[in-house]
Amino acid sequence: MPAFALSVNGVQHGVDADPDMPLLWALRDLLRLTGTKYGCGGGVCGACTVHEDGEAVRSCLITVAAAQGKSYVTIEGLSASGDHPCQLAWVEEDVAQCGYCQAGAIMETAALLKRKPDVSDADIDAALGNHVCRCGTYQRMRRAVHGAAGKAVKT
Amino acid sequence: MSATRRTFLKTGAVGAVGLVVAVKLPAFATDAAGAGFQPNAYIHISPDNVVQLWVTRSEMGQGVRTTLPMMLAEELEVDWQQIHLVQATTSPQFKGIRLRTSGSGSTVGTYPALRKAGAAAREMLIAAAAELLQVHPSTCEAKQGTVVHPPTGRTLTYGQLASSAARQEVPKSPVLKPPKDFQFIGKARKKTDGAAIVEGRAMYGIDTLVPGMQYAVMERCPVLGGSLRRFDSSKAMAVKGVHSVIPIKSGLTPGVAVVADNTWSAMKGREALKIDWEPGPHRNFSSAQFLQDMHAAVNQDGFFVRNDGDAPAALKTAADKLEAVYEFPYQAHAPLETMNCVADVRKDSCEIWVPSQCPVEAQNETAKMLGLAPEAVTVHVTLVGGGFGRRLFSDYVHETVELSRAIGKPVQLLWTRSDDMRFGYFQPPSVERITAALDANRTPVAWLQKSVGSDLTMFPPSAEELKNLHRYFDNEEPWGEFDNPYNFPHLKADYIPLESPVPTGPWRAVMYPSRVFARESFLDEIAHATEQDPLELRLRLLAPGDVLKIGGSKIDRARLIKVLQVAADQSHWKQPIAQSGGRRWGRGIACNVYDSDCYIAQVAEVSVGKVSHDILVHRIVCAVDCGLVINPLGLDGQAESGITWGLSATLHGGIDFKNGGAVQSSYADFQVVSIEEAPAIETHVVDSGAPPGGFGETAVPPVAPAVANAVFAATGKRIRQLPITPAKLQDA
Repeated sequence: MPAFALSVNGVQHGVDADPDMPLLWALRDLLRLTGTKYGCGGGVCGACTVHEDGEAVRSCLITVAAAQGKSYVTIEGLSASGDHPCQLAWVEEDVAQCGYCQAGAIMETAALLKRKPDVSDADIDAALGNHVCRCGTYQRMRRAVHGAAGKAVKT
Repeated sequence: MSATRRTFLKTGAVGAVGLVVAVKLPAFATDAAGAGFQPNAYIHISPDNVVQLWVTRSEMGQGVRTTLPMMLAEELEVDWQQIHLVQATTSPQFKGIRLRTSGSGSTVGTYPALRKAGAAAREMLIAAAAELLQVHPSTCEAKQGTVVHPPTGRTLTYGQLASSAARQEVPKSPVLKPPKDFQFIGKARKKTDGAAIVEGRAMYGIDTLVPGMQYAVMERCPVLGGSLRRFDSSKAMAVKGVHSVIPIKSGLTPGVAVVADNTWSAMKGREALKIDWEPGPHRNFSSAQFLQDMHAAVNQDGFFVRNDGDAPAALKTAADKLEAVYEFPYQAHAPLETMNCVADVRKDSCEIWVPSQCPVEAQNETAKMLGLAPEAVTVHVTLVGGGFGRRLFSDYVHETVELSRAIGKPVQLLWTRSDDMRFGYFQPPSVERITAALDANRTPVAWLQKSVGSDLTMFPPSAEELKNLHRYFDNEEPWGEFDNPYNFPHLKADYIPLESPVPTGPWRAVMYPSRVFARESFLDEIAHATEQDPLELRLRLLAPGDVLKIGGSKIDRARLIKVLQVAADQSHWKQPIAQSGGRRWGRGIACNVYDSDCYIAQVAEVSVGKVSHDILVHRIVCAVDCGLVINPLGLDGQAESGITWGLSATLHGGIDFKNGGAVQSSYADFQVVSIEEAPAIETHVVDSGAPPGGFGETAVPPVAPAVANAVFAATGKRIRQLPITPAKLQDA
């Protein structure tokens, strides 16, 4: 299989993979970065959201071939010690229930706040509207986004 | 009373829940080798002062890895920081202790046992300290992981006491703390795994990796009841990374698995399979036809559920009558983490890692498949990315075990989203017809209900049971019809089972959602037809707040009255709702008693577009009395979660079957509520002083009728078939 270079969380990895392999499976199965979750494989649920050059993208829709030359950050690389404002706010608001979808929502929010620190409810709806949480933690998620925005502004 | 399906779901078949804790298990309490102090299956204290607590239920978002240790820690008097949580496996340590997670039973089923376990350990630690300090135990206090002797100020840590505590007698009746001294119970506590989750460190089933593990996905027969004729694996085997192609028979649906180096290669191999299926007898099954059959069946005589007074006679002499028919479709669980399992079948043993709600059943079924003793099979329960009843079945474990045995290697079998949506156990549909007899004063005096539904696949009635014409009553079913809390002089309830080829199983709140939707919607219809306030009608029908004894259940109507009043007060029920934004606004109320121990009322505020008929649910005010609350933060979360779940089935959802297969296959066509649609939710707790009840499912059933009633208040249109959609409002 061809070798591809993947830049993930500031580290260059060489992976042997089918060119069509979605980044999601390269992260999970080849690099064992399992914090990025499989939810639907079709870009519908948002559980696999990562950052591509700072933008939130769905890793199930990006092939390793297309990932060449780009720089990715996963939930494991969002902060050095779990202290990104979103992570802190998520814990503070006790958002997670089963927790499975939360990494995707956190990555989406981190990108949103970088783009728009003074976030509105409409911004949150637009950014997180396509993130499925079957536990229904949406109220706390919304509070956490606002909380993280406050922290992001302060820092 | 015999154990009903309800008690099985809630507390398990083991009658004396958790009494095992009081038994001094020889393998545990002694400490000859300095291995620490293990007074029972739940607690181990090591000489280096680490307190290990075992969690005996599966964490699937309901918070057991927080609430269960809170109960232990309360009586054990430990510092939360010194606790190390361990998930119970199917090991001899937990023989006789329930590891199954269902029926909103984790709190109810563990509370007495865990407090007793903690208290017994505490008394043994105190006895050990008293012995070492040569003082009377009554002069010592347990505090924050230490035993203190206040008169002298001497302090010993639990670690220091571990060896001598292990030699103490296990107390038969340890003294429990008075509630006024609670430090953990009733105090808001954030989720134990919160930090691990937000850092991506939390390990779900799908994250399992064992040495030498291969990855598999499986193509399943698209038609219910179909079978495999033949397959051609040559193209699949040609896909780089694919190791083997194996037909699998042991799951719910027959299929062909593709095993590869990684998930993606397995998926590509699967796409390259050529399979010839025998569609079987259900190739033409359609849910639309089945629902029509259910509507027709409503005229049949049913099985006995309730018969108070003489409802048919009351109907004959009634001044007037009302009648309506309600419909609830098939539903999928659709947890975010799809079904998956890792199995490693070896010659004389098997090890399994799985996000399961029923590890012991998985263990026993695997042992049977492999011809091994159950002890030779170990099931590790991982974090569960959503359970909701789907993971009370081990069909996906069977598939993985069969596959691992075939390839002789550890393997992970992953269901894709489409597999998960189409091949699970579904919430069965139901059709409810309710008739009310009104007397000359337009007071409802008789209630006649016919419920048509499907028995859950997980509980096939035995031959013996089939002879019992009172079997549904004896089982206290269907929930929501059987335990109708209202006081009608005449009440007749029947159940007509109608089976389809669709596998069915418990879905969040099991049998309640469809029956409570019908019951609480119809009460609203009675109220409007008789020009009464829907709240006042309910209060009248619950007067004088007595206890309804039905079968083995006792329903305290006073507790239901109280939550109705609190929900009404907090939602300003008596004040008219403001009409704004060019939309039609309305409020609706509904209530339910979940399994006699949890009382809930909800008021929904909705608005409906005048032209578009789009439905916005703005706020749901929820009042709950589920007895003692262990973790208020957890209770709020479960209210939000249950309400959102109920709302998904109210506004979206529904699985259709055509040509013998499920039509919907993703979150795009089986929609669940999104953050944009999520209403504000307010939860008010009513403290009745009752012992803890279960709350994982309680908030689900009232949502649909509260919203339907609010939509009626807003528009004058009554929707009796879920989901409630703009198209239905347009046509109504």
